[in-house]
Amino acid sequence: MLAFGFSIGLTGGLNHTIATIAQNVHEADAWWGTLAAYQEMFTNKRFLGDLVVTVIVTLVSTLTVLFLALGIGLYLKLKGGRMARLLSGLAIVPLFIPVVIASWAILTFYSGTGFLRSAFALFGLDFPVWAFTMVTVIIGSVWTSLPFAVLMISSGLQSVPKAMIEAARDAGAGSLRTIVSVIVPMAAVPIIIATTFTAIGIVGSFTVPYFTGPNSPNMLGVDMSNYFSSFNQPQQSAVMAFTVFLIASGIAALYVWANFRSAKEQGKA
Amino acid sequence: MTIHEPLTEQPASTTGPGAEAGGGLNIRGLHKILGGRTIIDNLDLAVNEGELVSLLGPSGCGKTTTLRMIAGFLEPDSGSIEVEGQEVSHLGAENRPSAMVFQNYALWPHMTVARNIGFPLKLRKMSKVEIKDRVEAVLELVSLLHHKDSKPARISGGEQQRVALARALVQEPKLLLLDEPLSNLDAKLRVKVREDIRKIQQELGITTVIVTHDQEEAMSMSDRIAVMNAGRIEQYSTPAALYARPETEFVATFIGSMNRVEGSLNNGLITAGPDILGIRPEDVILHDVPFDGAIPATVERVVPRGHFQEVYLHRPDARLRSFVTGEFMEPGQQTFAEIRKAMTFRDGRLVAEAGAAR
Repeated sequence: MLAFGFSIGLTGGLNHTIATIAQNVHEADAWWGTLAAYQEMFTNKRFLGDLVVTVIVTLVSTLTVLFLALGIGLYLKLKGGRMARLLSGLAIVPLFIPVVIASWAILTFYSGTGFLRSAFALFGLDFPVWAFTMVTVIIGSVWTSLPFAVLMISSGLQSVPKAMIEAARDAGAGSLRTIVSVIVPMAAVPIIIATTFTAIGIVGSFTVPYFTGPNSPNMLGVDMSNYFSSFNQPQQSAVMAFTVFLIASGIAALYVWANFRSAKEQGKA
Repeated sequence: MTIHEPLTEQPASTTGPGAEAGGGLNIRGLHKILGGRTIIDNLDLAVNEGELVSLLGPSGCGKTTTLRMIAGFLEPDSGSIEVEGQEVSHLGAENRPSAMVFQNYALWPHMTVARNIGFPLKLRKMSKVEIKDRVEAVLELVSLLHHKDSKPARISGGEQQRVALARALVQEPKLLLLDEPLSNLDAKLRVKVREDIRKIQQELGITTVIVTHDQEEAMSMSDRIAVMNAGRIEQYSTPAALYARPETEFVATFIGSMNRVEGSLNNGLITAGPDILGIRPEDVILHDVPFDGAIPATVERVVPRGHFQEVYLHRPDARLRSFVTGEFMEPGQQTFAEIRKAMTFRDGRLVAEAGAAR
C-alpha cells in the first residue's frame, strides 16, 4: 500500500525518507495524488519495451511449459512404460537445482564460447549465440517452471478414471478426440492452476532474466531492480511493480475461477 | 423342460463373412495370458442374434477379461472374435460394432446427459438435428427425457445407469456389452433396472453379453448363461437347465445352494464312497411321521429366510440342509428326512442323477 501510495505521489508519512533520497519524484498535486509517474513510465520507450517483452516471455514460456507438461502427462497416462516414467522423472530434476546455478549453466551452454557453439564448430557449423537474448530467458523460464507443472498436470491427468477414457474409445473416439473431449476437460482444474502458477512465477521472475537476458529490453523484474537501486528512481520502480501486480492479478482471477469451478463440482457430487 | 446342449457344439461358422451360424457373436479359441498366468484358456462362445447371454462366475474367473477382449480394450493372445460374421479381433475398440455399459457407468462428468449420449453420434459426424432427435428418442426409451440437461452428478445411481445404457443404445450397436451393470445399485433398484434392461433388450432385439457375479441376476435376465471358472466355460445352457442339471460340481455349488456329501446314495441312505453327492436343499423333504425312504433326523438349527426356513439337520448318515415352508420348526425337534433327488459327481463331473421313485 505504501509503495502504491508512493507511486501516485503520496510522499508524506512513512514514504518521507525514501522520497527525500530518491531522484525524479513526482509529488501529489491533488488530494488523492498524481498519475504523473504513470504518465512518465507509460510514455517511456524503455518501460514499454520491457512490458512487451515481459508479456511475450510469459506467454511463450507458459504455453511451452503447458505443452511439455501436457505432453509428458498424457504420454504417461495413455502409453505408460519405462520411457514415460523416465521422462516425467527427468522433468522434475530442475526442482533440485538452484535457479542461480541453472541460469549460469544455461548461459554458458548457449554463450558465444559455449558448449553448443563449440560442438557445432567441430563440424564447421555456426550455431547462433543465444546467450543474453530472450531465447535463453525463455529456455530458463521453461526450465524452472516445468517441474511443478509436470507434477501438477500429470497427477491431474492420472486422476481421470480409465473407464472414462475407455468409454470415449468405445463411443468411437480416436486418441486425439479422447484427449480433447474427455481427458483435458476432466483435468481442467489442475491444468488451469498449474498454468496460472507458472504464468505468475514467470511474470515476476528476476534471476533467470537477470543472468541470461539482455540489458534492454529485459523483463520488468530486472528493470524494476535497475530503477530502484542503480537509477535511484524508486517511484518509477513502484509503478513497474504495480503494473506487474495488475498482470498477476489478472492471471490470479483465472486461478480463483478454477477453484470456484472445482468447489462447485465437488458440491454437486 | 428342455435341456439345451451347449451351443458351442452346434455347427459353428468356420469361414469368414457370410457365415450364418453363431449369429450375433462367435468366439473361438480365445486365449489370454496376463503376468504369466493363464486368464482365458482356449474359450469358445457362440451367441445367437438377439440373444442375451450372461458370463457368470466368481471374481477372478476371467469373465471381465473376456468382455474386455470382446469390446476391444484388451488384445487376445490368440483366437477369433466375430460379430455378425465380421472378424473384429484386429480392430480397436473405437472401430468395433459393439457398445459397452461400464460398471461405474463412466459418464463424462463435464457433459450433460444429452451431450454424453450425443457424443458417439457427434463422432459419426451426424447433423445437430439428427443427434438431437436420436438422443431424445433414446432418452424417451429409458424414461429420462426430463434429465436431458442435467449433469451426471446431479442424478441418482439408477438414472446414471440408464444414461449409460442409453449412450450405448444410441449407437445402435450390433453387440451390447454390460460389465456388472447392476452391482452399484441397491437391492430393490437392481431388480427394477434388470427388468428394464431385459425389456429394452428384447424390444430392440440386440445381441447382448452381460458380465455378472450375481447368479440371481444372471438367472432372471439371460436366455443362456455361460458359467466360467478359472478361464474356462464350465457350462453353457439355459438358466433352468443350469440349475436342474449342472454338468460339473463347480456349477452345482455355484448356482443355487447344495448339500455336498461324500458317498453314494443307496435306498435313500448315504453310504461311504469315493463320489460326491450333490443334493439341493429343496430335495430334502421332511416328514412328521415315518415315511418310506425317510430316515429319522434331528433339527439342529433353523434360519428363517423369509419365504422359507433353512433347516440344518443331523441324520445318522450325514448332516443336511433343507428348505422348508409352512410351520416353524424348533431346534431339537425330531423329524424324518427323505432325499428325493441327488446328483453324483466323480472327479468334479456329473455322472448320475439318482432320483427317488417319485
